[in-house]
Amino acid sequence: MTSAYCNQLPPAGHIPGNRGMWAGILCEMTEFAVLFTVYFTARVFFPQEFRSGPGNLNLLAGTLNTLWMISGSYFVVNAVIAIRQNRPVLSVRFLYLVLASAVAYMVTKYLEFEWNVAHGVTAGNGAFFTVYYYLTLTHMVHVFWGMIGLGWIIFRTHDDAYSPTEHEGMESFASYWHATDLVWLIIFPLLYLLR
Amino acid sequence: MSHKQVVAVLWIVLVILTLGGSLLGETTEPGYVLMLLITLTMAFKGRMVVDHFMELKNAHPLIRRLMQGYFYILPLATATTYLLSNAQL
Repeated sequence: MTSAYCNQLPPAGHIPGNRGMWAGILCEMTEFAVLFTVYFTARVFFPQEFRSGPGNLNLLAGTLNTLWMISGSYFVVNAVIAIRQNRPVLSVRFLYLVLASAVAYMVTKYLEFEWNVAHGVTAGNGAFFTVYYYLTLTHMVHVFWGMIGLGWIIFRTHDDAYSPTEHEGMESFASYWHATDLVWLIIFPLLYLLR
Repeated sequence: MSHKQVVAVLWIVLVILTLGGSLLGETTEPGYVLMLLITLTMAFKGRMVVDHFMELKNAHPLIRRLMQGYFYILPLATATTYLLSNAQL
């Protein structure tokens, strides 16, 4: 990337959002690091289950959820860029697109779990499925927290609370949302692709 | 390229990689090559989100290294445990 591009990013050494949010994000990443360690340990001890497990999951649902998470991240960075350009109306529109992505994620998850039940994919089916439900349900909870935060950020943006020089709250939310996206980018290949 | 253009291009790249990964996972015979492609894609996607969506490219080095580190360690752990579990079959 050119230096011209780097000049459009926040200044060197900048921490997006506030330090409190970063403490939360690092806690979230640590929590998932523990869950991934459980996945890796279980994979070594139950190799056959982990080899055949992904074939029993709904790959379409996993793929769609990855697209929703990536798109949500894309929309939220655009919301931040818009507020820096002093375009709050555009920023709110992008935030509503983030909300639409989150709702689509939740609906897809619900339909996936329904499909699982119909096809006998339950947590009691073995180590792989136990880990699958632990990881995906925990991630879902984090998305839900994010949606509550998103509601607040939409309200504040409607209220003209953010400006090009002061939008720490929105940056904090954006950082959290990206972290949740990052976690899914690991969950997806581990559970749905690695056969 | 502006920041807005870079993230738009990256979004398209990430969507293509996701669809391509799913297609490979569905149609390719499982094995070491597929595992390597999956882990490299995981690492690349994560690093792109950290640097450009999360805007940590210029950020405080400690925060950036911690987040980037996740996408060195996790793909490495994925590959290692895949090899270990395959060795037991």
